[in-house]
Amino acid sequence: MTATTNADDLDEVTIVRVFAAPRELVFACMTDPTHLTHFWGPVGVSTPIENITVDLRVGGVFETVMVNDESGETYPSKGVYTEITPPSVLAWEEPSGMANRSEFIDLGDGRTEVRIHQTNVPAMYRSPEAQAGMKSSLDRFATYLATQTS
Amino acid sequence: MDDGQLDATFAALSDATRRAILAKLAHGEATVNELAQPFDMSLPAISKHLKVLERAGLISRGRNGQFRPCRLEADGLDVATDWIEHNRQIWTERFDKLSAHLRDLQKTPSTKGTPS
Repeated sequence: MTATTNADDLDEVTIVRVFAAPRELVFACMTDPTHLTHFWGPVGVSTPIENITVDLRVGGVFETVMVNDESGETYPSKGVYTEITPPSVLAWEEPSGMANRSEFIDLGDGRTEVRIHQTNVPAMYRSPEAQAGMKSSLDRFATYLATQTS
Repeated sequence: MDDGQLDATFAALSDATRRAILAKLAHGEATVNELAQPFDMSLPAISKHLKVLERAGLISRGRNGQFRPCRLEADGLDVATDWIEHNRQIWTERFDKLSAHLRDLQKTPSTKGTPS
């Protein structure tokens, strides 16, 4: 995977992953706190089940507070569901205006492809909260990269 | 990372016209006149956008001659691409964990008791 420095690409992001599991189960994992708590935090970050709110209806809230395992630092994030079509589509919009739309595609062999399409990505940059969060994220990322390359 | 630089970069990238200018400059240097053409904007309006982009370190402008061609400065874009890469990294790690979780969920009881 290479990073591109193309201004055309800064608006939208697509993330694709194939899972060895049926579509209904993958969709359930993305919408049920008892599943989300197992994987929502990236490496070194946890999301206790009491920190996850899923109000699974259009207009309902999707809220998480991830916790850094080492420092205890918290990373709250919030979205409002804009589209819920089990088990094929799940979409939410963040307060910044950035939209996340996930498609769940049945590959017909017991596997499921998830395609996350993030649009209006630069809206992330407009809100002071997002900028503050991003600065600390970037700092953490720089620290993480330093540990990977040293 | 310099916070002021980051603010300036994000502010500069939050505007669609400025992103379009960057996209055009990705194909090579251009003068203010050449940049103004596709945008139905006055030269002063375009110049204002260019100043914002220049302050953010996203473009540089030639010092010689009256046309002062604009050039994309790829380093300035790193802030945005860094964020996008970081975002991708989070989802990659998240999905690695989801894969493991799905594997656990689908372990059949019969394999658990199988002697190795």
